[in-house]
Amino acid sequence: MSKVNPPNEKPANGNQQPKVGVYVCRCGGNISDVVSVEKVAEAAGQMPDVVVARQNTFMCSHPGQQMIVDDIAKLGLNRVVVAACSPRLHELTFRKTLVRAGLNAYLFEHANIREQVSWVSKSDPEGATAKATRLVGAAVAKVRLSRPLDPIKVDATRQVLIIGGGVSGLRCARDLSQSGFRVVLVEQSAALGGRLTELGRLYPVQVEAREVLHSLISEVSRDAAIQVLTSAEVTAVSGSIGNFSVAVRCAQQETTIHVGAIVLATGFDTYEPLPGEYGYAEFPEVITLPQFVRLLEKQGPSDGQLQRNGRPVKNVCLVHCVGSRQIEGIHQPGPDGRLHEYCSRFCCTAALQAANEIRARFPAVNVFDVYRDIRTYGRGHESYYEQASKQGVIFFRFLAEQLPQIRRADADGSALVVQVKDTLTWGEDLEIPADLVVLVTGAVPRDLSRLIDMLKLSRSPDGFLQEVHPKLRPVETAVSGVFLAGGCQAPMDVGESCTAASAAAARVSAALLKGYVELEPFAAVADPALCTGTGACIEVCQHQRAISLVDVMADGVTLRRAQVNPALCGGCGMCVPACPHGAIQVDGWRLEQFEAMVDAIAADY
Amino acid sequence: MSEVQQARRPKILLLATTACAYPGADYVGQIHSEYSTDTYIIRVPALAVFPPEFYLRCFQKGIDGIIAMSCGHECPYPGAYERFAERIGRAQELMKRQGLDARRLRTTAICTVCGRAFLKEVQDMVQRVAQSGGQLVGK
Amino acid sequence: MSAGSSTGETVQQRLVFDALVVGGGIAGLQSAIELGDQGYKVLIVEKAPSIGGKMIGLSKVFPTLDCSSCICTPRMAAAAHHENVTIFTYSEVRRTERAGSRFQVEVVRKPRYVHEADCIGCRLCEYACPIHVEHEFEGNLGARKAIYVPFANAIPQLALVDLEHCVFCGLCEKACPTHAINFLQQPEEIAVEVGTIILATGYKMMSPERLKLYGGGRLRNVLTSLQVERLLAPHGPYGRVLRPSDGKAPSSIGYVQCAGSRDQSVGVSYCSRVCCMYAIKQAMLLSGSLPMVDITIYYMDIRAFGKGFEQFFQNAKAMGIEFVKAKVGRITEDENQNPVVRVEVMEQDGRVEERKHDMVVLSLGLLPGWDPSGVVPAEIAEDGFIRSADPLLAPARTTAEGIFVAGAAAGPKDIPDSIVEAGAAAMEAAIYLRRNGSSSNGDERAVNEQAAVVAQGRG
Ligand SMILES: Cc1cc2nc3c(=O)[nH]c(=O)nc-3n(C[C@H](O)[C@H](O)[C@H](O)COP(=O)(O)OP(=O)(O)OC[C@H]3O[C@@H](n4cnc5c(N)ncnc54)[C@H](O)[C@@H]3O)c2cc1C
Ligand SMILES: Cc1cc2nc3c(=O)[nH]c(=O)nc-3n(C[C@H](O)[C@H](O)[C@H](O)COP(=O)(O)OP(=O)(O)OC[C@H]3O[C@@H](n4cnc5c(N)ncnc54)[C@H](O)[C@@H]3O)c2cc1C
Repeated sequence: MSKVNPPNEKPANGNQQPKVGVYVCRCGGNISDVVSVEKVAEAAGQMPDVVVARQNTFMCSHPGQQMIVDDIAKLGLNRVVVAACSPRLHELTFRKTLVRAGLNAYLFEHANIREQVSWVSKSDPEGATAKATRLVGAAVAKVRLSRPLDPIKVDATRQVLIIGGGVSGLRCARDLSQSGFRVVLVEQSAALGGRLTELGRLYPVQVEAREVLHSLISEVSRDAAIQVLTSAEVTAVSGSIGNFSVAVRCAQQETTIHVGAIVLATGFDTYEPLPGEYGYAEFPEVITLPQFVRLLEKQGPSDGQLQRNGRPVKNVCLVHCVGSRQIEGIHQPGPDGRLHEYCSRFCCTAALQAANEIRARFPAVNVFDVYRDIRTYGRGHESYYEQASKQGVIFFRFLAEQLPQIRRADADGSALVVQVKDTLTWGEDLEIPADLVVLVTGAVPRDLSRLIDMLKLSRSPDGFLQEVHPKLRPVETAVSGVFLAGGCQAPMDVGESCTAASAAAARVSAALLKGYVELEPFAAVADPALCTGTGACIEVCQHQRAISLVDVMADGVTLRRAQVNPALCGGCGMCVPACPHGAIQVDGWRLEQFEAMVDAIAADY
Repeated sequence: MSEVQQARRPKILLLATTACAYPGADYVGQIHSEYSTDTYIIRVPALAVFPPEFYLRCFQKGIDGIIAMSCGHECPYPGAYERFAERIGRAQELMKRQGLDARRLRTTAICTVCGRAFLKEVQDMVQRVAQSGGQLVGK
Repeated sequence: MSAGSSTGETVQQRLVFDALVVGGGIAGLQSAIELGDQGYKVLIVEKAPSIGGKMIGLSKVFPTLDCSSCICTPRMAAAAHHENVTIFTYSEVRRTERAGSRFQVEVVRKPRYVHEADCIGCRLCEYACPIHVEHEFEGNLGARKAIYVPFANAIPQLALVDLEHCVFCGLCEKACPTHAINFLQQPEEIAVEVGTIILATGYKMMSPERLKLYGGGRLRNVLTSLQVERLLAPHGPYGRVLRPSDGKAPSSIGYVQCAGSRDQSVGVSYCSRVCCMYAIKQAMLLSGSLPMVDITIYYMDIRAFGKGFEQFFQNAKAMGIEFVKAKVGRITEDENQNPVVRVEVMEQDGRVEERKHDMVVLSLGLLPGWDPSGVVPAEIAEDGFIRSADPLLAPARTTAEGIFVAGAAAGPKDIPDSIVEAGAAAMEAAIYLRRNGSSSNGDERAVNEQAAVVAQGRG
């Protein structure tokens, strides 16, 4: 199932006397305003094996990188240190620079002197300069002991698991199948479609959700490369990118499938107001937007008639931001203990669409819209707002500090009264009659604790699944081979969900296309010259079959020695201290390298 | 830098995990909070890689304080956090046996956005190191 | 590889790629990288002399506040170094014809008057040039020369001559160590065959001249939001924040939201989607660099809708930035060139007030970057941006088969949304290529290698 590289042959440039180039970045002032970049470079020039030390305004820029390439060619550098921003931004950039210049990518070391020095030491430039110098010293000390490494290549299964059969999952499945992948789509409920099965007309094009789903679902079900499992759930996951083993329970049966990547398309839940919140669960006339959308359906509970408790509705009042944009001290946390501080993004336009639909279908019904900010941000959304104003929807605006109150009406007429301190009329206290109050509820993260545990995912502070970086890697999770599509990452409308789903498909496709995946080479290696075959490393190792004892022949004698399968090794290094002889080390992070870094930090420059 | 002779500045080592504490330290930078320049961060995939003796050697080399910043139970490597905790326990035992103040070695879990916790831990260690002055300097 | 440019004659070439990406902003770069990562050969045609689009000129970016060029430069470098990506900067698409499922495209490379293969980007020409011109990259707040490298972290690092301002004194020719300057250079036409097209032509800013009630661009201390991005950039024109008229550090700044958006009177009824967030971001950054400054944001609705945006907005409020719900009717200035805004403040008693600030920033709306009519067979919608054929299921698909759209070209959009959309457009384009049996086969690869050579030193 997996291919293992031959043990390191150590290309030429690893064994030679180290010749280190050090490059200190000014970051256009971000670093050099605090750290004396000149002094750091000067001190670096004196460090052992350093052949050249330079500074530049933007090391990451083309000329900055070119400077390294040129020095490698001219001065015969075989190791490089860049002191700049966090390695999380540019370590890869510079590894690639080395490769372009013909050096092994792992003969590079990054010193973080922006996020961890200049940005946190404004008032102590001298201390910052000394600190940056020591960190450069540590990087030099480490890189001197670096060896060339080769990426670990693992054969990848060209089959993908998608969890969640809403519009995001369906869209992603189609994209992947059309790119030549096999797809298994696991949906926990009995039917495909997710949230859209409960919706009517969709903004921004006024198409029925049913029609949108119908076209997509029929494409998916006709597609021989997509296997759909409904009423199914994922019960266990093991393995890693290229080769995940996933146990799926479906119709009382457990099957194991092998996939190269996993896409999460589990969507979101809608907010369920707390009992008593704006009269919810207290007055039957108070309902949520999803319930109201059902009510408007021709096939809905009242055949599309606008009725509540058998009484015709004359006045409808929409209240926005229920369960969204919550503020500590004003709002109560939900049952999950979470305050929903974020904006749910789609509900303003969805609510206005409902408002317009009432005005169009029931011209005699008054619509009042009570909001904090109208966020019709997207393409075509603003016209819903304009149309609502034109069609006579009446707007009131409240501040979070003065939430509207809902109570029973004293007199005949409408059942309820919504009290608002309306900032559009300069803070006047107004009373709005309402036969029906619609709470515009937003999205909340689903309870995905089992999946999160199984896949070792993390959540953003808002509780939705977290991407690696919103701009650099927006659809990837920190677990390589696991991707995000749609509403599980943040509230999104259909267009945005489909866009995210396609973007995830593009990333999966790039990762698995070749039929193998390249992994970072940071795996344990056992040195047969030091190993005596105690097996202590195997005892502590948590990765099945990553280390085994094998027979090796040396001078005509057969010996038992530890051997690591790098594709299965997680690179945690737990085995390192277990070995009584120091025979097992993690490539790229060997203990002697850490010791050398500490020496450099302890030293004075 | 010869001034170093006159006023020796303390050196605090922050061992920070790649998945959590290191990005946590970056986060403190991104919000431009300030903390002592006597701190040196080393990025480590998992702290379980260090044998107990590693920490003792650091003190011998002249490091005044160490904060081992892990991912805690969020550790992406199964079992590594537990193994690390064991080894740190053992290191602290060894420190006591050698007459070293065990408070010079702290462990804490720092998440990717745990800016406040990070600053507090650093601040505490800076104070601890400053208060105990020369006594803390290992030999 | 002079390709005729130094002799002044136009040489016809035919290059073959899987995909053409029009526009080398963040969306175009990301689409090209995504396609390149899937093994497709891509040509990016960028009309400006550097790739990077608007993003490379921004200061720090919401919602994470990381420095814009730190995110953008790696993407620029990744595209420029990608084995499957070729870049033509300072070039434009002139005509496109459909040929079966593929397209024949005519690309024009504009003359830089600097021989690209010889220019080493050393800037000696720039230092020698006696002419100072307002620098577009610095929002006209700084100056450049008539021969110049577009900006510090431009890709490629090649000089170009601005003929409009050049006085032909010849000093640059003397200064150039590689004799790269050539005033006789002619536009170069290149015929390109591609399997699919992605439009990523981004946006332009509403011109302040069109906003007569806001001073029509004549008030000195009324800046555009893009100018403030440059003031805030660590390597910006002044190196710090000050107001243009007298160099004073402003102690009171007003932001006018929806300046040229959501406003029928200037013909823009849509929301420009990024202005609330960039105004909040700039206000936070300004508070950081001018500790005593008071900032007021005059807004209609605060639209902080994306992931982490609302929390960002609440932080700004907690920092003391004042948000006033009001439509600004008019901006004038007093005798000291202090801008005066006339507002109807809704939250109080609705009275009309005149408020004086040291500096006012117009949060200008975003307009379409390009109208493809007659050049690429894609349609634009009523808002002027490229029309999406299926806004629900496939927003990146245009009404023309095989042509896709990404980023702000399909309507105002922030960076995270542009990047995700670029991935989607690339996915759509890849599927289109597969369906039509297009992929780099042997023949094409040979031509592509040739293309890569031709493009060397220019991308
Ligand atoms: C009231 C309302 C009105 C709206 N109106 C509009 C509109 O007019 N226009 C518009 O564009 N958008 C609208 N939206 C937004 C739209 O609903 C979402 O964009 C869309 O549903 C997101 O799709 P998704 O596939 O990401 O998530 P979902 O639709 O939530 O689908 C997720 C799927 O994953 C499944 N799942 C979850 N967990 C698991 C698990 N552990 N294992 C297996 N399967 C799992 C679920 O059962 C579900 O089928 C509206 C939303 C609401 C609430
Ligand atoms: C003041 C301001 C501040 C902002 N701050 C932020 C922020 O903090 N965070 C955030 O997420 N977003 C921010 N944005 C939004 C951000 O600028 C856009 O999201 C982003 O630039 C969109 O990228 P793009 O590639 O789609 O378009 P662009 O950046 O406009 O790039 C389009 C490219 O196409 C080229 N082009 C145009 N026409 C042609 C043609 N015919 N042929 C060839 N090339 C062509 C252009 O020269 C340009 O290089 C801000 C915007 C403004 C105005």
